[in-house]
Amino acid sequence: MKVAYIFATQRHNVSYVLAKMILPQLEEKRHGASVVGMFFFEDNNYVLVKDNPIGARLHKVAKEQGILLMGCDQCCYEREIADKLFAGVPIGCFPDLYKALSGNPPDQVITL
Amino acid sequence: MTATCRESCCSATPRVSVSDLFERGFRRLRDAPLSIEGEVHRDPAGNFVRFSLDVADGRIKSVGFRSSSCATLIAYCELIAESVPGSRCDIAGVLTSKEIIETLPGVPPYKHDRAVLAVAALRAALNVIPT
Repeated sequence: MKVAYIFATQRHNVSYVLAKMILPQLEEKRHGASVVGMFFFEDNNYVLVKDNPIGARLHKVAKEQGILLMGCDQCCYEREIADKLFAGVPIGCFPDLYKALSGNPPDQVITL
Repeated sequence: MTATCRESCCSATPRVSVSDLFERGFRRLRDAPLSIEGEVHRDPAGNFVRFSLDVADGRIKSVGFRSSSCATLIAYCELIAESVPGSRCDIAGVLTSKEIIETLPGVPPYKHDRAVLAVAALRAALNVIPT
């Protein structure tokens, strides 16, 4: 099964659900589903900023496993980080996300 | 002595950031078109923009626009709409996308094509000003 994650709410999503569940499982190749993309809203985008330690691990595993990472463009502009993300990590909105995933669409989209 | 607040909430000079321009541009989008409307310009991604102008005595009085909802495009269009009023029409026509891009840092390079689209649409509106 192919899944895409949308990190929509804040609180512990990145520091806990992503960093302590999804990411280690991806690194250990035992997540149980093929992750094709992750899209980040609001403060969750800070994980995509260069030198973020969780983001560095995520960026590495995404490159290895062909996972699309994308930040919400309005969220990134609001935080003035749009040009400070890891190399190759784009910002965009829904049209950009759907276009980017069109060649490898997920079976399920999971909003966290 | 207290320093003057330079934030957009109370500063006399609005901030020129993508986010602030997007916010102001999103409001301008709702305004009715002005008296002189240019052609719609589109890009392959489906973005579009059309500028409208009010002109008096060879100078641009005000600028409006309608565009797709792309935040970057709206920010560039709003930057034009805030910068151009007061200019002579022929001077406004020499504005380049490079100048727009340089004025607004923080936009990733792969989004700079929105500035090209915005400037092309502005020129289209300038081209239909009656002589």
